[in-house]
Amino acid sequence: MRIILTTVLFFLVKVLPAQDSLSNLLDKEVNIESKGKKQFTYATFKGTHLVNSRTIETLGKHDLDFRVSHRFGDIGGEYGGEKSFFGMENSSDVGISFDYGITDRLMVGISRAKGATSIRQLYEASLKYKLLRQTEDGNIPVSVTAFGNAVVSSMSSNIKANTPDHFSSFADRMSYTGQLLVARKFSEHLSLMLMPTWVHSNYVINNDQNDIFALGIGGRMKITKRIALVADYFRVFRNAKSISNFKTNGLTFYNPLGAGLEFETGGHVFDFTFTNSTAILENQFIPYTTTSWTQWRFRWGFNLSRIFSTKKHK
Amino acid sequence: MKHLKGIVIVAMLLSVIKSQAQEKWFTRNGKITFFSETPAENIDANNNEVFSLLDPFKNEIAFQVLSTGFKFKRALMQEHFNENYMESTKFPKASFRGTIADPSKVNFNKEGTYVVAINGSLSIHGVTNKLSIPATIRVANRKIIGETKFDISLADYNIKIPSLVSKQVSETVTISVNCLYEPYDR
Repeated sequence: MRIILTTVLFFLVKVLPAQDSLSNLLDKEVNIESKGKKQFTYATFKGTHLVNSRTIETLGKHDLDFRVSHRFGDIGGEYGGEKSFFGMENSSDVGISFDYGITDRLMVGISRAKGATSIRQLYEASLKYKLLRQTEDGNIPVSVTAFGNAVVSSMSSNIKANTPDHFSSFADRMSYTGQLLVARKFSEHLSLMLMPTWVHSNYVINNDQNDIFALGIGGRMKITKRIALVADYFRVFRNAKSISNFKTNGLTFYNPLGAGLEFETGGHVFDFTFTNSTAILENQFIPYTTTSWTQWRFRWGFNLSRIFSTKKHK
Repeated sequence: MKHLKGIVIVAMLLSVIKSQAQEKWFTRNGKITFFSETPAENIDANNNEVFSLLDPFKNEIAFQVLSTGFKFKRALMQEHFNENYMESTKFPKASFRGTIADPSKVNFNKEGTYVVAINGSLSIHGVTNKLSIPATIRVANRKIIGETKFDISLADYNIKIPSLVSKQVSETVTISVNCLYEPYDR
């Protein structure tokens, strides 16, 4: 008897509509579904570059990025001041580049830079690939992107031996950068990045280094919806012998530090920057930054990026 | 005793054969499209991961959708949509809950197409507005299809369009919804 009653009650309960409201039920369903789903963090940085450094970002599939970068002359010191209108009448480096997204993770690029040290007229080919993407659920805490470039100088060779621009073969004109970019978007407002970097130059003068390692750190902090503070810094590891040798020739190396304001206006990204380094490409500003913030030898500059979609609209 | 046995059998039968009007209907892959049209640029995006529950017994309907689930043709548009307009980190979900205003017009136990009005509240970007939207409900064997199309003003949901892109992004966007419901079995 009791068993039968229990059974009846059981079925009655089952038939009765559930007590949960529809929205609560829906909440439950959405949560179950979203738990098992990877949601990649978006917009860790705006664009493919910070100030001097690259970022973990690549372009979307079939997107084309046209960039113009400019670094003016020293603001103060021997070459700056009023006579060059605080460096604005000089340009230490100018670069134009085209990058293209082959997939949402792989990007190729070509660029041309005037070049800032004695090695000039540079052509660059580069590859960037997103190895790992940060997820919203925290299972993947960071994004990791690999970057590599090959740069060739097309300037005429210096006939004087043991000068930086004396090229005895085509291979002497080549230099390479290999870089791992590791970033985390901590909040809607703050993203930070670490950049272990290796620069290899096929040809260097006596007592210079073919291989130089550096560790970069960079960050972006949003001030308003469309304006952010950006900064990057590279600690360059040059060996003591090379440092002292250059010093006796009157050349001191400094770590490149750049800071600026970034304006984002739907498709355009504009950086208004200050840097002590003079060059635009890693192949130059990592091994050969010889100007220091403390001597007023920094400059203003800008990076301008415009992204075009090459995908056909239906 | 005999009586009780009868009740048990009826109860068992009831639990097995519920009519379409008594059970809840569910989808986790409904479709929402939005369309912004200006002379300079047309922008459209699709979301195929719309969650919706329909309860004909109570005339209630509810929707939920993640902003980040909208797919754009251009990656950059998608990023701007989430970062600058929807602020998806702050407001990850958009939702709607409402009731069928004229339930007498629809018979969930009979195959056919019914045009109804749905009154409810729509929450987007942290702002909730009451609205009434026309919808079509098609009842088929073990399936219900719900469709609607309506316009919303972005200003109503506190979504600001910078003057710089006002030529590309319309103040009013058209939202289309298409859901194929199946019996909810949980």
